[in-house]
Amino acid sequence: MLKIIIPTAMLMPMTWLSKPNMIWINSTIYSLLISLISLSYLNQLGDNSLNFSLLFFSDPLSAPLLVLTTWLLPLMLMASQSHLSKETLTRKKLYITMLTTLQLLLIMTFTATELIMFYILFEATLIPTLIIITRWGNQTERLNAGLYFLFYTLMGSLPLLVALLYIQNTTGTLNFLIIQYWAKPISTTWSNIFLWLACMMAFMVKMPLYGLHLWLPKAHVEAPIAGSMVLAAVLLKLGGYGMMRITILLNPTTNQMAYPFMMLSLWGMVMTSSVCLRQTDLKSLIAYSSVSHMALVIVAVLIQTPWSYMGATALMIAHGLTSSMLFCLANSNYERVHSRTMILARGLQTILPLMAAWWLLASLANLALPPTINLIGELFVVMASFSWSNMTIILMGTNIIITALYTLYMLITTQRGKHTHHIKNINPSFTRENALMTLHLLPLLLLSLNPKTVLGPIY
Amino acid sequence: MKPPIFIIIMLTVISGTMIVLTTSHWLMVWIGLEMNLLAIIPILMKKHNPRATEAATKYFLTQATASMLLMMGIIINLLHSGQWAMSKNLNPMASAMMTAALAMKLGLAPFHFWVPEVTQGISMSSGLILLTWQKIAPLSVLYQISPTINPDLLLTMATMSIAIGGWGGLNQTQLRKIMAYSSIAHMGWMTAIMAYSPTMMILNLMIYITMTLATFMLFMHNSTTTVSSLSQTWNKTPLVTLLILTLMMSLGGLPPLSGFIPKWMIIQELTKNEMIMMPTLLAMTALLNLYFYMRLTYTTTLTMFPSSNNMKMKWRFEHTKKMIFLPPLIVISTMLLPLTPMLSIL
Repeated sequence: MLKIIIPTAMLMPMTWLSKPNMIWINSTIYSLLISLISLSYLNQLGDNSLNFSLLFFSDPLSAPLLVLTTWLLPLMLMASQSHLSKETLTRKKLYITMLTTLQLLLIMTFTATELIMFYILFEATLIPTLIIITRWGNQTERLNAGLYFLFYTLMGSLPLLVALLYIQNTTGTLNFLIIQYWAKPISTTWSNIFLWLACMMAFMVKMPLYGLHLWLPKAHVEAPIAGSMVLAAVLLKLGGYGMMRITILLNPTTNQMAYPFMMLSLWGMVMTSSVCLRQTDLKSLIAYSSVSHMALVIVAVLIQTPWSYMGATALMIAHGLTSSMLFCLANSNYERVHSRTMILARGLQTILPLMAAWWLLASLANLALPPTINLIGELFVVMASFSWSNMTIILMGTNIIITALYTLYMLITTQRGKHTHHIKNINPSFTRENALMTLHLLPLLLLSLNPKTVLGPIY
Repeated sequence: MKPPIFIIIMLTVISGTMIVLTTSHWLMVWIGLEMNLLAIIPILMKKHNPRATEAATKYFLTQATASMLLMMGIIINLLHSGQWAMSKNLNPMASAMMTAALAMKLGLAPFHFWVPEVTQGISMSSGLILLTWQKIAPLSVLYQISPTINPDLLLTMATMSIAIGGWGGLNQTQLRKIMAYSSIAHMGWMTAIMAYSPTMMILNLMIYITMTLATFMLFMHNSTTTVSSLSQTWNKTPLVTLLILTLMMSLGGLPPLSGFIPKWMIIQELTKNEMIMMPTLLAMTALLNLYFYMRLTYTTTLTMFPSSNNMKMKWRFEHTKKMIFLPPLIVISTMLLPLTPMLSIL
C-alpha cells in the first residue's frame, strides 16, 4: 500500500518544486502512473482480501473504488487547467496540493482496516473539500455551500464516532477483517435502534439520503470543476462503501430499521429525478441526478441480498465515471459561456460535433443503456428490490423512465436544435477536453466487457 | 512596566503555580493560589485604562471569593480528617465546596460570567497568560481530589460549560471574547472526563494550551483584536492565513488535526464508562464552537473580505515581536494525531 501512498504524498513536493510551465504536466503524468500501479489491486484472489499490513487491506469492494479514486486525480488536474490559468503560480500549486491531499486521504480511507482509522480519514476528507469549494468556487453562494456541506456531514458523523467506540468496547476490536467473523446478531431493542441509527446516519448524509440531501446541490453547483468531480465520483461513494462495511455489524436490526430509509430512498429517487426535469441550471441537474442514483445504492445496501450488493458496487463505479464526465462536459460549456443556464448555449452539435458525441455517450451511459455497467448496476438493484417487495417495481420503473426523460432533455437542450446566435464565436474543443472525455469514457466502456471486476466481493 | 519589576511579578506568578503543583499541604495550595492571584493583577493592568481596571477588579473579586470558598473547604476537611495533608479520603462537603471554588477559578459554568469580560478588558498577552497558565493550578488541585467529587456535579458543569461556550461565542466579533468562550468550552470538556480518567484531562489541557498559545501568538503577530482586522491578514502575511485556518480547525476538533485527539480520547473514556448519550450531546454541542471558528477562517483565509480600498494597502511594518516558539507550536497543534498511541506514557 505504501507504493501508492508515498508517491501520492510525494506529488506535493514535486508540485512545489516544479518549474512554472511544468506543474500541470508533472502532476498529471505522475498521478496517471500511480493509478496504473493501483490497477494491480484489481487482481483479487478467491474469497480472501489482499491484506497488506496491520493498517491497510483491499478486497474486491474497495479495490475498484481505489482504482476509481486514483484514476480521477489526473482527470481532475486536466479539467482544472483552464479555470486556473489566470491565477498566480502559488495559488495553482496550492490548488494542486489540496487535490493531492484529498487524494491521499481518500486512498487511505478506502483501504483502512481499522474502523476508527476509516472514521478519522473520512472526516479528514472534509477539510480539503471545504477549502476547494469555498476558496476556489465562483459565486457568493459557495460560502453557504461549504458550511452546509461541513455541518451536515459532521452532525451525522459524530454519533458514528460514539457508536464505533461503543462497538469496540463490547466486541473488543474494530479491525474489519476480524469483526466480520465476530459480529453477533443484535436484537431490536431501543438502544440497539439508536446504535443502528448512530452507525448509519453518517453514511446516509454522505450518500445522500433524500431528506438530508440539501447540501449536495449547493456543494456541487458552487464547487469548481475538480471539486464537483471528486464530490460526485468519490466522496458520495464513501458513504456507500461505509454503509456496506458497517451493515455487517448491524444484523438483524437492519430488517426492521431499513423501512423508513427504504421509503425515503424510493420516494426520493422519483422526486429528485422529477426535479431534474425542471432544472434550468445544468450543474444542478447533474447534482440531483447524483442524488437519484445514490438513492438506488441506498436501497440496494439496505436490502442486503447478494445481487443487490453486486448491483450497488457496479452502480457506484459506473455512476462515478458517468457523473464526473457529465460535470466535465457541463464545465466545458461553462468555460465558454460563463453561465450554467442550459438554454443559454443550445444547439452545440452544429458547432462542436465531437463534443456532441461525448455528450451523447455520457447521456446514454447515464440513462443506463445496455451493455454499460450502469445498466448492470440498476438492473441488479431493481431485480433485488422486486424480490424484496413486489411493489417497489412501480417506483423503480418510474425512476428509470424519468431518468431517461431528464437525460434526454439535457442532451437535446444543449446539443440539438437551432443554436443561439451568440455562441458562434466560442472556442473549439481543446485536445485536453477531448482527452478528458475519452479517459472518462474508455474505462466505462471497457468495464462493460468485463464487469466482474466491479461486481464486488459477492461475485 | 519596568523589566525588573516585570521579572519579579512573573516569577511570583510562576512560583505560585509551582507551589500548588508540588505541595501536599492544603494550606500551601491556598497560599500558592493566592500568590498567583495577587501577582497577576499587575499583569492584567499592563495598560492603564478604565477597561483594564474594571477587568482586574472583576478578576480579583471572583478569584478572591473562590479562594475563600476553597479555604472553607480546606478547613472543613481539617475538621473532619484532623490533618492538613492532601489525602484520598476527602469529606463530601469539603469536596463539593472545593470543586465549586475551583470551578469559579477556572471559569466553568455556572461561574463563567467573568471570563469574557476580563479577557476583553486586558491586552492580548495578558489574556494569553490568563487563559492558559492560570488554568494549570486549579486543574492540578482538581486532579488530586477527582476521585471524591460527585460525578453528577462535574458532568452538569461540563455540559453547561460546553453549551454556554458554544452559544456564547456565536455573536462575538472581538477575538479575545471568542477565545474566552472557547476556553469555557474546553474547560467543560476537561471537566467532563475528570470523574473517569483524569489523565485525559491533563492531555486535553496540554493540547488546549498549545493550540491557544499558537492562536494568541498569531493574533499578536498581526496586532489584531477584532475579526474584521484579522480579515486583512491576507494583505500583510499570507502564510498566517493558512496557519489560522489549520489552527481554527484544530481548535474545533476536526480530524486529522491534534485538536481531535482530546475529543476522541474523552469520548472513548466516556463510552468505556457506559455513557452513550452524554458524549453524543457534548460532541454535537461542540459543533457550535466549530461554527464560529469557521466564521473566523472564512473571513481570514477562504475569502478576501470586503474592505475599503485604503485598508487593502495597510502599512507593512517589520515584525519586532519575538515569536520564537511559534513554528514548533503550530506543528504540535496540528500534526500530533499520528502520535496518539504514545499517549500511554501519560
